[in-house]
Amino acid sequence: MSYIEVNGLKKTFTVRKKREKGKLLREKQTVEALKGVSFSVEKGDLVGYIGPNGAGKSTTVKILSGILTPDGGEAKVGGKVPWLDRKEYVKHIGVVFGQRSQLWWDVPIIDSFSLLKDIYRIPKTDYDNRLKELSDALQLEELMRTPLRLLSLGQRMRAELCGSLLHRPELLFLDEPTIGLDAVSKLALRDFLKWENREYGTTVMLTTHDMEDIAALCSRVMVLGHGKKLFDGKLPDLLEKFDTVRTVSVRYDSDVLRIDMPENVKCEHKGEEYILTYSPAEFPTSRLLKALQDAGNIREMTLQPENIDHLIASMYKEMDL
Amino acid sequence: MNTVKLYIRSMGMLLKSHLQYPLSFFMQTIAQLIMEGGEMLAVILIVNRFRQLKDWTGGNLFFFFGIMSVSFYITEFFGRGITGDFPSMVRTGRLDTFLVRPRGVLTQVLCGGIDPRRITCIAVGVAALVIGSRMSEVVWTPLKVLCFAESIAMSCLLILGLFMIEAIFCIHSVKSVELVNALTYGGRSACQYPIDIYPKPLRMLFTIIAPFALTLHVPAAWIMGKNLYGWPSWTAFVTPLSGVLVFGIMTVLFKQGIRFYRSTGS
Repeated sequence: MSYIEVNGLKKTFTVRKKREKGKLLREKQTVEALKGVSFSVEKGDLVGYIGPNGAGKSTTVKILSGILTPDGGEAKVGGKVPWLDRKEYVKHIGVVFGQRSQLWWDVPIIDSFSLLKDIYRIPKTDYDNRLKELSDALQLEELMRTPLRLLSLGQRMRAELCGSLLHRPELLFLDEPTIGLDAVSKLALRDFLKWENREYGTTVMLTTHDMEDIAALCSRVMVLGHGKKLFDGKLPDLLEKFDTVRTVSVRYDSDVLRIDMPENVKCEHKGEEYILTYSPAEFPTSRLLKALQDAGNIREMTLQPENIDHLIASMYKEMDL
Repeated sequence: MNTVKLYIRSMGMLLKSHLQYPLSFFMQTIAQLIMEGGEMLAVILIVNRFRQLKDWTGGNLFFFFGIMSVSFYITEFFGRGITGDFPSMVRTGRLDTFLVRPRGVLTQVLCGGIDPRRITCIAVGVAALVIGSRMSEVVWTPLKVLCFAESIAMSCLLILGLFMIEAIFCIHSVKSVELVNALTYGGRSACQYPIDIYPKPLRMLFTIIAPFALTLHVPAAWIMGKNLYGWPSWTAFVTPLSGVLVFGIMTVLFKQGIRFYRSTGS
């Protein structure tokens, strides 16, 4: 049996609609956040969980971290059902929400950590060792006496990570951990997560909109949309399915009146630049080059690198999300 | 005992947070003093004008006022998580962070809020109690001190229990809480005066549903050597226990409510 086993997980929310004129009671509407999602995760895996807003990612994380009770289906983590016996279960997990803090806003972060030690009943020596280790890895030494509210977003996320890992959880949930971080902070965060995973075999499940997170960290990616699992596998395999379009931009020496292109090549004219989007499978690259050359004297030409966000966007579109 | 230690440590930290903004803290504390001082002024005016309200002397009125103030504001001081902050804990998703920690939710809610500005309100209440007890010529015996302490403790639990009704509504994402405010703030305003000056429906409300009469008035009347409902004097020790009963029921309902919790946002 796998470490995390999820089978046919369902969750429905009831949303009250705005009251219509002339009606006494507001109508209710049910929204199916999860329509039977199943997957399994092995111990020590680093799994990415992606999907557009409202796909049900956070709902899954909330169910697996014991915050919500599902309406149907089963889930077991390390043989335990998250929403039964919550207190016993959450001792072994850590959760980081990208958009809400788990630490205390107005006090130095070291005070927050020390209170977490009491909350999780961590023995003193364990706590001291672990805090030293985490503050080295996350470079928190200098920030320990600073109140959370005075930290930058990147510093705060490092502090949150430290707080959620003090009790050495076997499983770490990260809900959009890199949201709003600058490039340096993102890289540091990813390095740290890799280190923690390698060093302690911590299983990590992260939701994100940042495909670079997935590319850098995750051996496996799951795509969720409209409450259903749409893809489960390696990132390259996912990309191969949708990586079908190439973009070329061209500048000419002099103004070019028009470029002759078939309909399946999209041609945009921006200033001096022509941007062409085409699918090599439909229209061979050599024919495209020939057509471009026929149109005039090419000054420069760039083949734009594949943009992972575009790919995901086209994937969502194709999957009708 | 670990929970008590956690609570005390949390209180220390929250106090530290409040003192991060010393000027604001100071101003608000003064504002509280003026507000509660105004309430007391109303009692002073009544005592000056009428000398007596039913069978109650001016001293008795001060004593009732004081015991209510002290109970109510001790509850708001230490139970801020329930009496004030809970709706925002639900709205901002702070409750989610409580749910992923291996401690009781109610414990964490109570550890999550403190309102030290109420200290001045408590001080006004204590002053009223001292004046009331002098004027009523209360002779304090160990038994009376015990009865007094029980009354305050049980009233605090009762008030906390009543505020928990609001919290339970809040978990079910029901916003309208005015009805509940009638019991909590309404109860405080009404029951800082002796209960028998009110017509029967109000007396019933504050004896059976929100039993301030049982936790406050019965023991306070006995301490001042009077008898409220004509009940034997041992009832002064028994009726306040209704406070822990209300608190117990609400704790169970609160725990049930958490199961229906549906969280917010991403």
